[in-house]
Amino acid sequence: MSGLWHGIVDFVVGDDLGIAIAVLVLLVLAAAAVHFGADAWWLLAAGVPVALWVSLQRARRTAREAS
Amino acid sequence: MTGNLLVFLGAALASAVEMVEALTIVLALGVTRGWRAPLQGAVAALVVLAVLVAVLGPALEAVPIDVLRLIVGSLLLVFGLQWLRKAILRASGLKALHDEDAAFAAEVAAAQAMGITPGRDRYSLVISFKSTLLEGLEVAFIVITLGANQGATAVAAAGAVVALVAVVIIGALVRHPLSRVPENTLKFTVGVMLTSFGTFWAGEGVGIDWPGDEASLAALILLTVAWSLLFARLLRRTPTVVIA
Repeated sequence: MSGLWHGIVDFVVGDDLGIAIAVLVLLVLAAAAVHFGADAWWLLAAGVPVALWVSLQRARRTAREAS
Repeated sequence: MTGNLLVFLGAALASAVEMVEALTIVLALGVTRGWRAPLQGAVAALVVLAVLVAVLGPALEAVPIDVLRLIVGSLLLVFGLQWLRKAILRASGLKALHDEDAAFAAEVAAAQAMGITPGRDRYSLVISFKSTLLEGLEVAFIVITLGANQGATAVAAAGAVVALVAVVIIGALVRHPLSRVPENTLKFTVGVMLTSFGTFWAGEGVGIDWPGDEASLAALILLTVAWSLLFARLLRRTPTVVIA
């Protein structure tokens, strides 16, 4: 059963758990902003590329360390 | 209408990418050990995938739209960012490009190393089934999530089937891995679409009002293309070792 769960998580989350966590944090922040009546569309539009850029930088660092 | 077209295209491109990879393995088995078992394995996997889409697609469409958009939008966003990440790393030279010819050669070598026993070729059957199923699962996930959110599972499934048929016909004609298919460009395009749809739907799921409603989806796609190309360009400037 745990093998199946690991498989599903690995399938969706892929190579970098950081991306999934960043998306979760962004959505929680956006939901909170909406709850307090703020416009939050810009938060996702700007936060998603930042999350990917951080992940790409991490991959680059890993590649550099491996060299 | 535009939304359905994008869903069709997204599913078709994702299907093309994954089916090219599955085709390489089926071809390697077929030319090395005979066609019967690999074809049976591939068809059995496609049947399983079709059943999965047919059952889960309509079932998801019955979930309340806000809940669906939040859950499925978040999953699509994470999934899309992973595709985009991989495509950008490959485009920038930080990750090796997927080489169909090398994959074909490796699969042929493995298939030749396994002795052929009389009767049913279980090795080819299992490898072909497993490969097609694993490659196809990502397509099924995309078809189900894109389709259910847009209320167009049939449209998404049609996109995947059209691409599958095209790959199979071309594969049958050339009988060689489709190494000229710009796989990374397709992966990049699918990543952009999934990320844009995921951002839009997950946002709607948490209660965001996008400026211009559906029109902002097009803006998100353009924006995602722009920053993805920029990221690939920026990463290409710093040469480092290539991850296999």
